[in-house]
Amino acid sequence: MGTGTVIAETIDLAIGYVTQGKSRTVMDHLSLAAHRGELVALIGRNGTGKSTLLRTMVALQPCLDGTVRLEGRDLHTIGRSGLPRIVSFTSTEPIALRNIKVREVVALGRFPYTNWIGSLNTDDERSVNEALEVTGILPLADRNIDNISDGERQRALIARSLAQDTDLLVMDEPTAFLDLPSRYSIVGLLRKLTREKGKCVIYSTHDLDTAINEADRLWLMTEEGVSQGAPEDLMISGTLARAFESPLLSFSQTAGTFSFVRKRLLPIALDSTGVVGELTERALRRSGYKIMPDADLKVMVKETGNTTEWILINNLQIERYTSLYNLISHLPAGD
Amino acid sequence: MSAKPSLQSQRLIIIALFLLMSVLLAVDLLIGSTRLEAGDVLRSLFGQGTPHGEIIVMQFRLPKALTAIIAGAAMSVSGLLMQTLFRNPLAGPDVLGVSSGAGLGVALTVLTITPLFSFKPGSPLQGWSLILAAWAGAGAVMMIIMAVSARVRDIMTVLIVGLLLASAISAVVSLLQYFSNEATLKTYVIWTMGNLGNMSYTQIRTLALAVLAGMLVAFIMVKPLNAMLMGENFSRTVGVDLKRTRIILLASASILAGSVTAFCGPLAFIGVAVPHITRIILGTTDHRALMPGVAICGAVILLISDIISTLPGGGQIIPVNTVTSLIGIPVVMWIILGRAGLGRKF
Repeated sequence: MGTGTVIAETIDLAIGYVTQGKSRTVMDHLSLAAHRGELVALIGRNGTGKSTLLRTMVALQPCLDGTVRLEGRDLHTIGRSGLPRIVSFTSTEPIALRNIKVREVVALGRFPYTNWIGSLNTDDERSVNEALEVTGILPLADRNIDNISDGERQRALIARSLAQDTDLLVMDEPTAFLDLPSRYSIVGLLRKLTREKGKCVIYSTHDLDTAINEADRLWLMTEEGVSQGAPEDLMISGTLARAFESPLLSFSQTAGTFSFVRKRLLPIALDSTGVVGELTERALRRSGYKIMPDADLKVMVKETGNTTEWILINNLQIERYTSLYNLISHLPAGD
Repeated sequence: MSAKPSLQSQRLIIIALFLLMSVLLAVDLLIGSTRLEAGDVLRSLFGQGTPHGEIIVMQFRLPKALTAIIAGAAMSVSGLLMQTLFRNPLAGPDVLGVSSGAGLGVALTVLTITPLFSFKPGSPLQGWSLILAAWAGAGAVMMIIMAVSARVRDIMTVLIVGLLLASAISAVVSLLQYFSNEATLKTYVIWTMGNLGNMSYTQIRTLALAVLAGMLVAFIMVKPLNAMLMGENFSRTVGVDLKRTRIILLASASILAGSVTAFCGPLAFIGVAVPHITRIILGTTDHRALMPGVAICGAVILLISDIISTLPGGGQIIPVNTVTSLIGIPVVMWIILGRAGLGRKF
């Protein structure tokens, strides 16, 4: 885990763009670090400069100030031919190709090692096969890249990155455009690479859920600057909450999840336990209620065999409902 | 290991294409406005035919067929380079105005420089000045398109810019024509019709040398070309010197399209269509297979066009440009309208 040595660090780095000789700084004084064997998630709201930071770290954009050090060497001293052996980069660039096989895409990862015509020797072949196997797409190796699912295509790009055989992998939004199970499986794969292969993976994401649950370290970008630490550190310090909270969203410190802020909460009493009780509470909260034991309005849950019944007691008036949906639609309007 | 059979089949297809090209070359030599027996043609090739037959075969049919092979290969490889360079499946020398640029160079040479220095038409000096002017014109348009592509991501916008450039250039050429004398004007107008014939062996040698140089450069660049298919970010992060690579590719594509345009006039749609036809035949986007495949396929298509253009017989010849358009335009239409992606994928 945190025992690996530092593989990538930024020292007082300023990132931004240079257009027509003028530079525009997006963010400065960034001092961050990532270790071998570590999964680092870069999170932050839109426009805070996540992509710019990652692109600066792989020399696609210039450092406006400060330095990036990879494997202990300054980025600008590494050079064009050395860099591809230290860090690989995967972006969200779409592949606009039909007639290319998954294996061919992955084989392009060997680019820094192959001869002038790009033919693979046995070492290259082994790396390609290994990358296909680790990412679980060996069975798809001979399929065309546009005939596989979005999640599988993302795996192919990760395999291409792996075939490049670098200890540091930088990925810009590898889980964008994916559904929930695919997002988890991709982040799970990245985590596996850090654990089994000792790689350091730095990836940017909008998916807080997976980042908080799976990453060893967060780099959190806000307009004020960047904070780093274990997800829980940032939860304790309240940095995470501050970064994403808005008048409409509140952050649950312990669960690491967000929920909508209700303006006016009506009191309701709930007499129930177990799974059904928790789900009932959740449904009531969404409808703008707050659980208070001595409220006039009261819900009791009666579970008999396979059927569940919700009993609503309102000033001696008693109604029975067979589903939560029915119960909620008959409650007095909350917020 | 499983990739091997497909590599082998690609090789077989390329060999088959080469054989097809040889057959078509023979057919092209056999067919013409004057009826010649196969035996006569063969004897003429080895200098043992009738004087009449030898003139027809050696002075007319063979130069025309050789030009078709060289021009078809060069235009198609130029199209392939441009499609990968601009990441635009609809790129091609004529579509993006590069042929027009070369044409402007030719117009300037034919209409102003040649009369000025009184170069003899068909002399090597005139040949090279034509070629150089065409390279410059093609290169200039290429650089404008490159600059536009860097700013505008949308493929269609780049195409429209290419069309506008072509129109602007043709306006300039009209202006040049207006101020030039009748004799030079006639030379120029004949050139615009696109013609594989009328080439002397000296001119063919000049063309072949220029095309060979352009092809060699193109073949050396197959590895970075393959990386460029994956996009700019990928190419740069695996160590491709994009700036240098782009300049080299641009020069190579300009030399190939410019040289052919200088001698044969604007050959329409070969450059756009052939790379697509080849990708489908070979089932790959790998430039190691595409480069020879596209070159041979281009030669095949232009030979076929040339054969079709002589079919009416009796001394009648359809301009080869008409035939290449009739073959190329359906392919381009199919790319734009066909299979999902609206011409955005290779």
